[in-house]
Amino acid sequence: MSALTVVLDGVAYGMVLFIISVGLTVTMGLMRVVNLAHGAFAMIGGYVAAVALGAGVPFLAAALGATLVAGLTGALAEALIYRPLYRKGELAQALMTFGFTFVVIAALTAVFGSNIKALPLPGYLSGLVDIGYRMYPAYRLFVIAFGLALAFALWLLIDRSLYGARLRAAVDNPRIARAVGIDVNRLFLLTFAGGCALAGLGGVLGSELLPLEPYYALRYLVLFLLVVGVGGVGNFKGSFVAAIALGLIDTSAKYYLPSAAAYLFYGAVLALLLWRPDGLMPARSAQ
Amino acid sequence: MSMTMAKLGMGLLLALGLGAAAADTVKVGVIMSSSGPFARWGEQFRQAIEVYQKQHGKTVKGNTIEVIYRDDGGPNPVRAKQLAEELILRDKVQFLAGFVFTPNALAVADLITEAKMPTVIFNAATGMITRKSPYFVRTSHTIPQAAVPIGQWAAKNGIKRVVTAVSDYAPGHDAEVYFSKAFKAGGGEVLESIRIPLSTNDFSPFFERILQQKPDAVFVFGPGGPPTVGLINTWASRLKPAGIKFLGTAETQQIDLPKIGRAALGVVTSFHYTETVDNPLNKALWADLQQMFGKDTVPDLASVGAYDGMHLIYKAVERFGPRPTGDQALGLWKGVAFDSPRGPVRIDEKTRDIVENIYMRRVEERDGQLVNVNFQTIPMVKDPWKEENPE
Repeated sequence: MSALTVVLDGVAYGMVLFIISVGLTVTMGLMRVVNLAHGAFAMIGGYVAAVALGAGVPFLAAALGATLVAGLTGALAEALIYRPLYRKGELAQALMTFGFTFVVIAALTAVFGSNIKALPLPGYLSGLVDIGYRMYPAYRLFVIAFGLALAFALWLLIDRSLYGARLRAAVDNPRIARAVGIDVNRLFLLTFAGGCALAGLGGVLGSELLPLEPYYALRYLVLFLLVVGVGGVGNFKGSFVAAIALGLIDTSAKYYLPSAAAYLFYGAVLALLLWRPDGLMPARSAQ
Repeated sequence: MSMTMAKLGMGLLLALGLGAAAADTVKVGVIMSSSGPFARWGEQFRQAIEVYQKQHGKTVKGNTIEVIYRDDGGPNPVRAKQLAEELILRDKVQFLAGFVFTPNALAVADLITEAKMPTVIFNAATGMITRKSPYFVRTSHTIPQAAVPIGQWAAKNGIKRVVTAVSDYAPGHDAEVYFSKAFKAGGGEVLESIRIPLSTNDFSPFFERILQQKPDAVFVFGPGGPPTVGLINTWASRLKPAGIKFLGTAETQQIDLPKIGRAALGVVTSFHYTETVDNPLNKALWADLQQMFGKDTVPDLASVGAYDGMHLIYKAVERFGPRPTGDQALGLWKGVAFDSPRGPVRIDEKTRDIVENIYMRRVEERDGQLVNVNFQTIPMVKDPWKEENPE
């Protein structure tokens, strides 16, 4: 039965990676902005939730508020910082978004200090649940269920809705998209805000495993980029598969071969990228 | 003293030709991390130093003690060395102090030997550092100093089989080696020694593995900082229900306990400073910290390291005036015993390292607050590393 626990743990960790990275798949993958500030938006969400929880707001409401604030911050940042960067090339984007990350780190340190900010789970998520053969943390079951629901909702939205079709058209060729009457600026603003909102949500739901502190944005950046890169830039289904795969690889390596765990994880990433340099599922429209 | 009186006093001193010799400024250069992910260290150092200066005055026999803070930003030996050079050559400090990280302290060893600069290490906790220069003295602790007593305690208190799980870096390796030695010497069995990569976010696979081995306890040395929360929470949800105890050292400092939450209840650690220890110096440290920096301020190992380090510097100025030589200061410090907020301490005559009580504590809830409560004191422990590695 221990193998089943390893699978559950691996899937739960993978879901956390998915929830927190999927916003980056949207902003960096779909919109093709080198968005190194993804962690900063996740962190903004997390801190908003921490303040709300401290004021007595229930957990799910705090998570919703965090999602909205991160999304609004994202919209503001898109209009002021990102839009002028779309045509400036990748180096300018990397530098600007990295700089933005440092500004957020400094601001959060100034207001909240450099200590960890705890996001205590509500009673119904912090306990253990009987899953037949053992007691298992409720939080992890919740994360797995939520990740699946989120993946399904995104699939409907991006692959099956008119909005999704417009977005893919606007990313592939903004000029033609404008010519056929799509308001590309508004579409990008909305999409970017959505990506940041997902980041904020991930910051809250993932904080059990990736605790909040001002350097969060840099500490886990490589992890977010790995998920997007291994999955295939621009394909959220790829991110989903990659996140689950990485979660399973990491967890089983730590369980069965703890002395080699650090090498196995990055070794697997290397092997996957050598095998499929564009990721597991490169976006069909990738140039 | 009013200005006129001060002027009058100065005039008198000058008239007597004593002005320059009697009142001077003593500069203390503190190298610490006050920005970046380790900024809490610098903040705790500075607050403790300010409390010490509030309690003892900013002058010693008319000599003003001026503390110059320099930020090394984290484990960065090159930067630490450069800051030390600047402090010695340009600012002309009389003492160097601080040092959160081992590599930063090691980086200045040759420099302070050459300059004969008395240097007080407030934290950096690797055993051999003080060997690298005769001008080092340390007011913190070493990793084996805490790991050996808890190994001995475990063997004597019904714990027969242990798995060690330490962070995969030098202090973690030290903790694993010294805990295991002491535990085995007491008749215990170490089933497995796991080294956890520093990049680990999810500790559950390690703890699941440990669960299968059914030990009596797991000895953990965490990486410090944010991952501690996940570490203890994972233990609480996976191993605690199976009755597997958590043994540690610095994982449950009171400053971190509110973030860890009730999962920490029952964790047993050995450490040189327990925040609830009952002595007048500790009470005054708490009171002044909270009065000066807010009611949420909590002292930690950094606070007592800096507080006691300032004590040594003040003593040297009191004894030798504003310009003590390195040999005078070190001569005074070797063998000196004094009271610290952590309890009685002594600087070892030979090793220049601190000799101090190690407390066995358990996390409990008192008045709605999570705190460490001492249940046993192992008096005046020397650094075991030096005992095992004679010069």
